[in-house]
Amino acid sequence: MAMPLLSRRQLLAALAGGAAAAAWPGGARASPASSPVAIGQVQHGGRWNPRPGALRRLGWELARRTSIETTPDAAAVRLDAPGLHRTPFLYLAGDGAVPPFSEAEAAALRRHLQYGGFLLVDSADGSDGGGFDASIRAELAKVLPAAPLRPVPQQHVLYKTFYLVDHQGGRLAVKPWLEAQVLDGRLAVVYTQNDLGGAWARSELGDWEYPCTPGGEPQREQAIRLGVNLAMYALCLDYKDDAVHLPFILKRRT
Amino acid sequence: MLAALASVWLAWRSLRGEVRLGRRAGLTALRAVTALLALFLLLEPAVQLLQTVRVRHRFAVLADASRSMRFPLEGAGATRSEALAAFLREHRPELQRLGERVDLEWSTFAGELTAADPAALAAGAAPQGARTDLLGALRAVTAGGASSRRLAGVLLLSDGADNAALSGGLTAAARAELQALKVPVNTVAFGREPPRDLAIERVAADDFAFVRNTLTVEVTLRAHGLGAEAFTLVLRREGAVVAQAPVRLVPGQERIQVPLSFAPDATGTFVLTVAAPVLPGEAVTENNQRSFVLRVIRDRMRVLLVAGRPSWDERFLRGVLKQDPNVDLVSFYILRSASDTPGPQDQLSLIPFPVQEIFGPQLKTFDAVILCNFAYQPYRSLEIERFLPGLRDYVKGGGGLAMLGGEQSFGEGRYGETPLAEILPVVPIDGAGLVQETITPRLTAEGRRHPITALGGGEAASAAAWEALPPVESLDLTRPLGPGSGATVLLEAPGTLVEGRPAPVVAVREVGAGRSLAVTTDGSWRWGFVAAERGGGDAAYRRFWSSALRWLVRDPDLTPLKVEPEQPAVEPGAPIGLSLQVRGADFTPAPGRKVAVELLGEDGKPVARGEALSGADGSARVELTPPGPGAYKVVARGEGAPGQVETASSAVAVRGAGPEDADSAPRRELLEAIAEATGGGSSVVPGGGLPRLATAEPEVVEIGRRKDVPIWDRWWTLAALAASLGLEWVLRRRWGYW
Repeated sequence: MAMPLLSRRQLLAALAGGAAAAAWPGGARASPASSPVAIGQVQHGGRWNPRPGALRRLGWELARRTSIETTPDAAAVRLDAPGLHRTPFLYLAGDGAVPPFSEAEAAALRRHLQYGGFLLVDSADGSDGGGFDASIRAELAKVLPAAPLRPVPQQHVLYKTFYLVDHQGGRLAVKPWLEAQVLDGRLAVVYTQNDLGGAWARSELGDWEYPCTPGGEPQREQAIRLGVNLAMYALCLDYKDDAVHLPFILKRRT
Repeated sequence: MLAALASVWLAWRSLRGEVRLGRRAGLTALRAVTALLALFLLLEPAVQLLQTVRVRHRFAVLADASRSMRFPLEGAGATRSEALAAFLREHRPELQRLGERVDLEWSTFAGELTAADPAALAAGAAPQGARTDLLGALRAVTAGGASSRRLAGVLLLSDGADNAALSGGLTAAARAELQALKVPVNTVAFGREPPRDLAIERVAADDFAFVRNTLTVEVTLRAHGLGAEAFTLVLRREGAVVAQAPVRLVPGQERIQVPLSFAPDATGTFVLTVAAPVLPGEAVTENNQRSFVLRVIRDRMRVLLVAGRPSWDERFLRGVLKQDPNVDLVSFYILRSASDTPGPQDQLSLIPFPVQEIFGPQLKTFDAVILCNFAYQPYRSLEIERFLPGLRDYVKGGGGLAMLGGEQSFGEGRYGETPLAEILPVVPIDGAGLVQETITPRLTAEGRRHPITALGGGEAASAAAWEALPPVESLDLTRPLGPGSGATVLLEAPGTLVEGRPAPVVAVREVGAGRSLAVTTDGSWRWGFVAAERGGGDAAYRRFWSSALRWLVRDPDLTPLKVEPEQPAVEPGAPIGLSLQVRGADFTPAPGRKVAVELLGEDGKPVARGEALSGADGSARVELTPPGPGAYKVVARGEGAPGQVETASSAVAVRGAGPEDADSAPRRELLEAIAEATGGGSSVVPGGGLPRLATAEPEVVEIGRRKDVPIWDRWWTLAALAASLGLEWVLRRRWGYW
C-alpha cells in the first residue's frame, strides 16, 4: 500500500507535539475541504457589518486551530431572499438599533432555525437595555416567541466543544454570560453583548483593530476561543456531551 | 277439629243424668264416630303411590397414561406402566366382585380423561401423555359427563408425578376441593423411590433477547440417586457451544440452579439447547437436554459515526440519528489534526482518537458504521490501515458500512487500494478527484423501487421527488461495479460521466452476510435543510437516512423473504406451521412466487421439505412434520429479482423433554394424602396390593313416578256417617232423651 511521505511541516509538528501530541492523530493535514463551511452574515436594515474583518479572522483562527475549514469570506445574506438555507450558520451583528424585521424576514429566520440552523447575534455597540440590545431582543422574541432568551448555563456543552471555556471574552465585558434561545434542546440562537467581532477583527496589516477592555489580550483570546467553540457547536451540536468524552473533560476541569 | 271435640263433649254432658254408664258411653261413642267421619270428609285424605327402582352406582378406575409411567418402577426393571398392567391382571377377581355391586368405569388420564378398555389396560399400553393432572382427572370423573348416576368411589392408579395443580403437593385449597367432591379416592402408587437420574427440570429464559446484551438462562437440574459427580453443563446454539458451566452434584441436594450467560451476537430466531452428559447408570436419558427457541432482536440500532472533520453533512446526519429513538449513536470526530495549533492540551476538551477501541474488539458491537468524509491515511501514528481488514471482515460477517463523500473519502481518501475496496458498492478511483459543480441526481430503474430511495407514492412520484430536491455541489468520482458483484446503483449523476457512464451518487451492495452503502457526496444535508427553505420540509432527507440505516442493518421489514414458525416449539408428532412472506424487488408483496422450505437437523441435513406459492398478499404457508424431538433450522429459498434466489431462515424446536420427562421421581406421598383426605384406601406397588376400596354410602332406590289417590270420596264414607247419625237418633228417641 503506497503511503505518502510526511511533509517537513508535519514532521516538525509531530516532533514539537511531544508526548501529549502522540496521543493525537499525528500526521498530515487533510486535503482542502470539498465543502468548506460558509458563515452567512445577515444584512439587516441597520449597521449590519460593524466589524468587516471579524468573520474572516474567525475563519482563519478556525483553520489554524481546528479541522474546520471555512470559506475565505462570509456570505452576506438577506433574511427574505432565496438561498438563506445555503448557510446554516448565520451571524447577525449590529451597531445601534436594528430596524424591525418584516413578517417575511421573521418567518424565514424562524424556519431556518426550526430546521436546524444556528444564529450568532453579536452586539457591537456595548449597549445594555438600549440601542442594538433592546431592538434585537424585541426581534428575537418575535422570531421565536416560545423560546425566550435565557443565560447559557456554565455547564453547557457550548463551553467545552473544543476549548474548556469558563467565561466569555470580547472587545467589551458587558455581560459575563451568553444568552440563548433553545429549540428542541438545542441552542438555536446565541446572543453576546460583548462584541466578539470587535475582538476578532484584524486589519489587512495584521494588527488587531480594537483593544479589548478591561482584560486586554487574554480577553481577546477568550473571545477567539469562544468563537471556535460556537463554530464547533454549530457543526457538532452536543458531541462533547457523549459519554466517551466525559471522563477526560472532568479530569481536565479539575 | 274443635267443633268435633265440642260436639262429643256436649253429647257426654247432655247424658250426665244417665245413671247407666253403658248408655252414656254408647251414645257418646256414636257421637265421636260421627265427628271423626265428618272430619274425614272435610279433610279429603288421599294415598300417594310411588313407583321406585333400584340404581347401581358408578365406580371409576383411573389409570395414569402420562409419559412418566414409562420410567422404571425400581432400578432397571419393568416400567411403571407395565407394573400397572400386571396389577390389574393380578387383581381382576376383586375388581370383578366389585363390579357386581357397582358399574365400573375405566379411564386413562394424563392431561385429559379418556375412556379405556380394561382388557387393553391389563395388556399394557405405551403411555404418551405430556402431563399429569390428578386433580383435573378427579374433577372430570366426578362431574360424570352425561351420566346422572352417583359416583361411589375412585381407584386411582398412578405414579403420582403430578405436574399440574398438585405439583407443589396437596395444598389446603386442593384438600378442601377434594373433600368437597364427597367421593372416596382409593390410590395405588406405582414406585417407591426415584430412579438414578439427572434431569434438566426447568430452563428459565425469556422468549426474546437483545442482541449483544448478556442473557442469562437459569437452568434447574434435578438429581436422584447420584453421588458427587462433576460434569460440564453446556448451552448450544444450533450446534455451537455459546456458554458452559462446571457443575458438581451434592449428595442429598435434589435441585441445583445453574446460570448460563452469553451475549447473542446476531439477530434472528435460534434454537438453543441446554445439555448435560448422561451419567453412568441413569434410568432416563431423554431428560438430559432441553431445547428452547430464542428470538434475538435489537433494542436499538447501535451506530458508529466517524467523521474526518466537522461539516454540515455530519451535523445534519447527527441530528437525524440523535432524534431517532431506535438509534444508539456513538460518534468520533476529528476536530484537529497535528498541524493545527490550538494551544495547550490541558485547555482543550479533546480526547485521543480511540482507534483501537472502536475498530478493534468493539467493532462487532455496532450494527452499522458510517465513515463521513473520513480518511485513514493522515493519522500515521494510529496506523488505521491495520484495522481496515477487520472492518472489511466485519461487513462480510453481517455488519453494515456506509461511506459518505468528501475530500477524504473514496478515491480521494485512497480507499481503492485498501481492503474496503472489496466491500464498497462502487469502485473508488484513486486520484480521480472531486467534481465541484451543481449536480441534480437521477434515480436509476432500481433506485425507483429500492426502499432506500423510494420516497413513497410509487416509482414516478419517487422520481419526481428526487428531481425536486436541491442539487449537491460536490461529488467523489467513482465507477459502478459490474454485474454479479451484488452492487446496485440507486442514484446517479446523469451529467457527470466516469468512463462513459453516469457517476454513482448512491449505491448499495450485498457483501457476504453484510451490506454496504456509498453516498458519494458530502452534500446530502441539502436534501433536508436546503429543501426545507422551499417549503417542502426535510422529510425526504430524514426518510432517506432512516431507510438507509434500516436497510444496512437488515430490518426485518425490509427483507425480501421472511419465514417464521407459527409456534416457537411444538409437541412431538405435531406438524410445524411455517408462515412465509415474499416481497418483490420494490419490497412490496410479491404474489405467485414459489418458495421451497427445508427443515435441517442439528447435523445440517434436511429432514423435511415443502413448497408453497405466495398468494396475492405475498404470503404463503407450509406445514412440515419433523421426525422427532430436537432443534431444527428452517431455511426458505424463493425467487427474487431475475436470476437471484432469496433465502431466509428461522428456527423451531420440537419438545423432547417436557415436565413429564424432566422429573422421574414417583410421589406416593401425594397419592396417600389424596386417599387420606377423601377417606379412601391406599397402597404402594411394589409390595402393596389392592387397598380396601372405600365407597360412598349407597342409596338403594330412586323414585321413578308418583301418583296421589283420594280415599274420602268413597260411598261407604258417607253411608257410615249417615248410619252413625241415624243410630244415635234412634237410640236417643228410644231411651227418651228427646
